[in-house]
Amino acid sequence: MLLLFFFLGPAVIVYSIFSVYPLIATMSLSTFTSDSSGALHFVGLENYRLLLMDKDWREPFWNAFLNNIWFFIIHMAVQNPIGIAIAGLLSLPHLKFRGTYRTLIFTPTMLSVVIIGFSWNLILSPLWGISEGFLKFFGLGAFFQPWLGLESSALITIGLISVWQFVGIPLMLIYAALLNVPSELVDAARIDGLSHMRIFFSVKLPLIAPTIGLVSILTFVGNFNAFDLVYSIKGALAGPNFSTDLLGTFFYRTFFGNQLQLGSPTMGATIATAMFLIILIGVCIYLYGIQRRLERHSF
Amino acid sequence: MAKLSLHQLSKSYGSAEILKDISLDIKNGEFVVLVGPSGCGKSTLLRLIAGLDPVTSGSISIGDRIVNDLEPAQRKIAMVFQTYALYPHKNVRENMTFGLKYAGLPAEEISRRVDEASRMLQLQDLLTRKPKDLSGGQRQRVAIGRAIVREPDVFLFDEPLSNLDASLRVSTRVELSRLHTLLKSTMIYVTHDQIEAMTLADRIVVMNKGRIEQTGTPLELYYQPANLFVAGFIGSPKMNQFSAILRNATAATGFGLSVPVKGGDEGSAVTIGIRPEHFVVGREGEHPHAARVELVERLGEISHLHMKLNSGELMIAEWRGRDAPSIGDSLSLAAETSNIHLFDAKGVRI
Amino acid sequence: MQLKWRVGLIHSFLIAYSLIAVLPILLVVMNSFKIRKAIFGTPLALPSAETFSLVGYVKVLGNANIGIYFFNSLSVTLISMATVLLFGAMAAWALAEYRFKGSNLLALFLSIGIMVPIRLGSISILHMMVDLNLVNTRLALILVYTAQGLPMAIFILSEFISQIPRDLRDAARCDGVPEIAIFFQVIAPLLRPAIATVAVFTIVPIWNDLWFPLLLAPGNDTQTITLGIQQFIGQYITDWNSVLAALSVAIIPVLVIYLIFSRQLISGLTAGAVK
Repeated sequence: MLLLFFFLGPAVIVYSIFSVYPLIATMSLSTFTSDSSGALHFVGLENYRLLLMDKDWREPFWNAFLNNIWFFIIHMAVQNPIGIAIAGLLSLPHLKFRGTYRTLIFTPTMLSVVIIGFSWNLILSPLWGISEGFLKFFGLGAFFQPWLGLESSALITIGLISVWQFVGIPLMLIYAALLNVPSELVDAARIDGLSHMRIFFSVKLPLIAPTIGLVSILTFVGNFNAFDLVYSIKGALAGPNFSTDLLGTFFYRTFFGNQLQLGSPTMGATIATAMFLIILIGVCIYLYGIQRRLERHSF
Repeated sequence: MAKLSLHQLSKSYGSAEILKDISLDIKNGEFVVLVGPSGCGKSTLLRLIAGLDPVTSGSISIGDRIVNDLEPAQRKIAMVFQTYALYPHKNVRENMTFGLKYAGLPAEEISRRVDEASRMLQLQDLLTRKPKDLSGGQRQRVAIGRAIVREPDVFLFDEPLSNLDASLRVSTRVELSRLHTLLKSTMIYVTHDQIEAMTLADRIVVMNKGRIEQTGTPLELYYQPANLFVAGFIGSPKMNQFSAILRNATAATGFGLSVPVKGGDEGSAVTIGIRPEHFVVGREGEHPHAARVELVERLGEISHLHMKLNSGELMIAEWRGRDAPSIGDSLSLAAETSNIHLFDAKGVRI
Repeated sequence: MQLKWRVGLIHSFLIAYSLIAVLPILLVVMNSFKIRKAIFGTPLALPSAETFSLVGYVKVLGNANIGIYFFNSLSVTLISMATVLLFGAMAAWALAEYRFKGSNLLALFLSIGIMVPIRLGSISILHMMVDLNLVNTRLALILVYTAQGLPMAIFILSEFISQIPRDLRDAARCDGVPEIAIFFQVIAPLLRPAIATVAVFTIVPIWNDLWFPLLLAPGNDTQTITLGIQQFIGQYITDWNSVLAALSVAIIPVLVIYLIFSRQLISGLTAGAVK
């Protein structure tokens, strides 16, 4: 008993106090409101009614939520297919320079989102003109636009920057899963006369389906928790005209306040709880809807 | 050194009964081998004796004390594992002394024991090496050395040779025998290999499905197996088993072999067992039972003949000498009457 | 012939993507060593004798605080890493080795943190740090990062511990080694290969984090390098030399460490920690 406490105590205590308790406290704070003196009053689900019904709250919330869904779709449609494709190529037998490619492609993942955000901000800036020059080189100069500054393209651009940075994560997880597919299985398929392409799609891909499921849910959690990239490129106001606002930046702005409004801890807590519920629903769909159906194979 | 006794020992995991009512007395200095097919509970029994798993009911005593509730280290046992279980980050000497330090032994005593054990096992030149720099046989010797320096009352071996290649297995087996003569300790050894069991043991315990089928010296098991399971398990190739009907105090098989029987129920089904090496094989017509050769396994000095009797039953007989028959040859057989085994309908020896 | 074609195609695709991955980073680092005119005139060219300049670095490194920021990041990350590894390994060992009432429930409780980001509790964390008088201390960051890193570390290390042969622990028990010593002397030294995996999943996010430094330790003495650079750039946004140099100062050390350890990091990552 004493032994268990010795081994588990430190982890459980630190984790409970600084992770689980704040989460619960935040949820409970979301059922209060504060008056001008700062005193808290219990209001039940009033804050949620405000968030979903009140004109001043509803619009930014749905805007951020829909943007976030877009953000997630961009990652699922671009990041994960690229990750799977590169992992598939890297796991081909007898490929030279495998390690070098792996190292290079994983590099952006190691760097800070803030640094990446600023770097892309500069690269895409019309002031520097480097992207425009680059497009001109291919005769595509006419297509250049200040993508990060336009309401229509800012979110997609930020989404693609995020894809560029984090493609390493699905790449590595799927690559590791592919390495675990026994080589005998691939050899057997080759003797059966299947091409590498067919082997990848009909032998390897079904076997690593659980990993793809895991990658999807990790992407979901990461996306609905994203903040740093938008904040470093666009600041807390997530411009132009909130077109890049995600739940994370909306939460930050609400809690801390900004040029437009005062900060509100209770509404911030309400948004955080809403984010928690969204993530929870996603995780539950994954655990009970998807993961169960994916057969796990042990080799 | 000490005697060891198990009294009505049982072990269950949930509703699964792994060991049922095991009672066994092991004499001081005896080398006992637990043998049986995989899943028979022999390794579990060893772990119970070691104290690595708690017993469900019954008692274990080592020397004169009941050790049920003692930690492994307090039982005065030492164990050699199948995977050797050497600490990969410690060198040979550290592997041997690691436990002794916690026993609070003085440094001189520790180094005396290490010197003695490493001389006994020719490990002197390896003491500063890490396990990864040792061969399989050397690792095995270190594992044994680690057991020896504990100067235990009882040595426990859990399939210690099964990770070695064939030739090393034979030489290490001989080594272990020599060690037992030298140390005169009580040793309990688990294996699924009947050759190891026959060559090493003072006494063999044959286990099956969580029970002891028979306990006896190697020759007792070979010549007087208590039941069909033991008869089939000890000896290679397996003992031939023929079904027969008991009439007029004689058991008769379908191909015309009849054996006189004392006792047994008239008209009941019995089994006659004859080992392949206990047949006399001759040309067609030379002996009473005709048979055709279907397959020949040539092992050199001896060959195993897989044959079909004229009743349709299949059997194996041993042939000595170089000029073994070929497939399709018609031969004849006789059984050595002194080496015929009889089992009743429940498989118990008559 | 056809095979050669295909191999060539695969390599050109991989080379193209590798360039996409590293070119933007190289562009920033490269131009940070150039004079302002060359940054705009020939952004794709390597710095030459004429265009080479360290003016940006002089400004950035002249900022006395950069050293402090680095020290803050380093100390917060290293101490968090040490506690995550120590507490995480101890808990993982207990969960993997000892069966006790509620052990499954406890494992579930600890794994919540893998899926639910700790950021969502930020408001209460801030309140708590205010009450504990820990705002603008490195300790606040260390505590939060430890709590943040533990669930994933426990998950990875449990998988790792369950691969250590059972015989090894049994042998130590037969040797009479006390349980605590079994962990520290037998198990812990064997966990070294798992450190790389834990590092990728818990340590890198700590070094790169902006959220908690912004929230809990925005003071000048406790800023981490990520936050410091962010603020610095905000101040000098039009001074391209300084901005590029500041970005490079943040990138280069990580890049160097990454390139040195990339083999271990990636093999740790692909060793099947997350199957």
